[in-house]
Amino acid sequence: MAKINLQSVSVEYPIYNMSTRSFKKHFLRVATGGTVTEDANQHIVVKALNNISLTLEDGDRVGLIGHNGSGKSTMLRLLAGVYEPSQGDIQINGSISAILDLVSSGTELEFTGYENIILRGTLMGLTKKQIKQRLDDIITLTGLGDYLAMPVRTYSSGMVLRLAFAISTSIQPDILLIDEIFNAGDADFTQKAREKMISLLNQSNIVVMATHSNELIEEFCNKAILLEQGKVKFFGSVNNALELYRTKE
Amino acid sequence: MESAADHLKADTLVKIPLQRKSQTLLALADLIEGFKRWPVWFLLACQDIKLRYRRSVLGPFWITISMAITVYTMGFLYGHLFRSELQTYYPFLVSGMLAWAVISSMVLELTEGFILSETLMKQIKLPHSLYVHRIIARNIIIFFHNLLVMIPVVIIFHQTAKINFYTLMLIPGLAIIYINALFYGILISMVGARFRDVAQIIRSLIQVTFFITPIMWNPAILPPQKRYLAELNPFYSFVELIRAPLLGHSPTWGNWIMVTFITAVGVVLSFSIFKKYRARIVYWV
Repeated sequence: MAKINLQSVSVEYPIYNMSTRSFKKHFLRVATGGTVTEDANQHIVVKALNNISLTLEDGDRVGLIGHNGSGKSTMLRLLAGVYEPSQGDIQINGSISAILDLVSSGTELEFTGYENIILRGTLMGLTKKQIKQRLDDIITLTGLGDYLAMPVRTYSSGMVLRLAFAISTSIQPDILLIDEIFNAGDADFTQKAREKMISLLNQSNIVVMATHSNELIEEFCNKAILLEQGKVKFFGSVNNALELYRTKE
Repeated sequence: MESAADHLKADTLVKIPLQRKSQTLLALADLIEGFKRWPVWFLLACQDIKLRYRRSVLGPFWITISMAITVYTMGFLYGHLFRSELQTYYPFLVSGMLAWAVISSMVLELTEGFILSETLMKQIKLPHSLYVHRIIARNIIIFFHNLLVMIPVVIIFHQTAKINFYTLMLIPGLAIIYINALFYGILISMVGARFRDVAQIIRSLIQVTFFITPIMWNPAILPPQKRYLAELNPFYSFVELIRAPLLGHSPTWGNWIMVTFITAVGVVLSFSIFKKYRARIVYWV
């Protein structure tokens, strides 16, 4: 059984490279984003998530919605274990796989497609044997054929995306976290990616997905969280959340 | 914590008791997990080396060749400069340079240990110590490439550079260097990520250290009452951990005492700071 439990969780991060006073003042006026304050040492501190409590259980397909800087990515990173809460408690049962940034993490341009499959697979915690078992599926999904034996630097950006997507979706976690990944690739790949995503979504116990596409949320999710300035504005049915989000605009 | 407790009562959904893990346990878990995930850092270390020599014909053996060129030429010049007998000076310099190369490049690379791991760190949850292991492993692999430079030296100067039982002391020596690199590495990587000037400071300190540590010069040429200048330099003892076995003798008791002391300080200091700031590292990079 997979379960995610957050209790009064806040994530604050200090910003170290802003020193001038005027810049601070300017930053304070920016409307989007979390609450910006100063800590005791006069570092700028961004409260990216503010006192969040929620529980997700088996079968939850949750869409995260909100403006840029409302805390969607921070929330996913928190659930992925990259960020630790500065206050509050978090408890997660179940294996997690996070597809946060497809291209930049663990794609080595000088290496061939095959080498990248092994590298990325190992980073995700697969053993050599497990990678070998999945190799055929991954290769089919990329549709790259002989290109896999060539260095990734010779690929087009769409091809890099195909490779990264195929590897990232090759493991079946209990909890799947996704950040904005549908919007690239040609028509043929988008179709394939869609099918793969649907099967992956169906196999995962809990899915949390951040996206700006209302259609995707309506299609895949049964719940939605509306984030605003790092706070949960609404957590419940998809329709209500989307409506609330639209009226805000 | 009080507001969290209030929340517990209000929220009927919460039935699972929440365990707040202590920072000590989390830091310990990070270290243990770092060792356990060795396939990951070993692969990354090998990848780093392959990447550097990807399109060159000789590949990683450029490491050996450039080291050979450096130490062989230095050996002749400085042997004459110090008016030492080549028979003793040459093996001394070559083995010392091998030791210094692995120690100094580890220190230098570790100053950016976390900074250069930023993309990975922000995408995948991996133990922080894993990035440090990666750098150490990479340098140990390079060290074994460099070790080939010793072969002609051992053949030509077989009277002073011997292969015997003491050569095996290289293994515990490297193990101790590994432990130190891990703990001091975590410390240096953290400080390097938080205070960006530190890398520059360490860079210049390392240069000075090379000259004040007995690598190019034998501590025996110091007058006896000034020997402590070498003996009290921790880098001297660490260099000896590699150099002595390569020359076929054991490091001295003084070396062992110094190394044990430095290791103990490193483990305690590094762990206490790691424990306190581990969760912040991701925001520093």
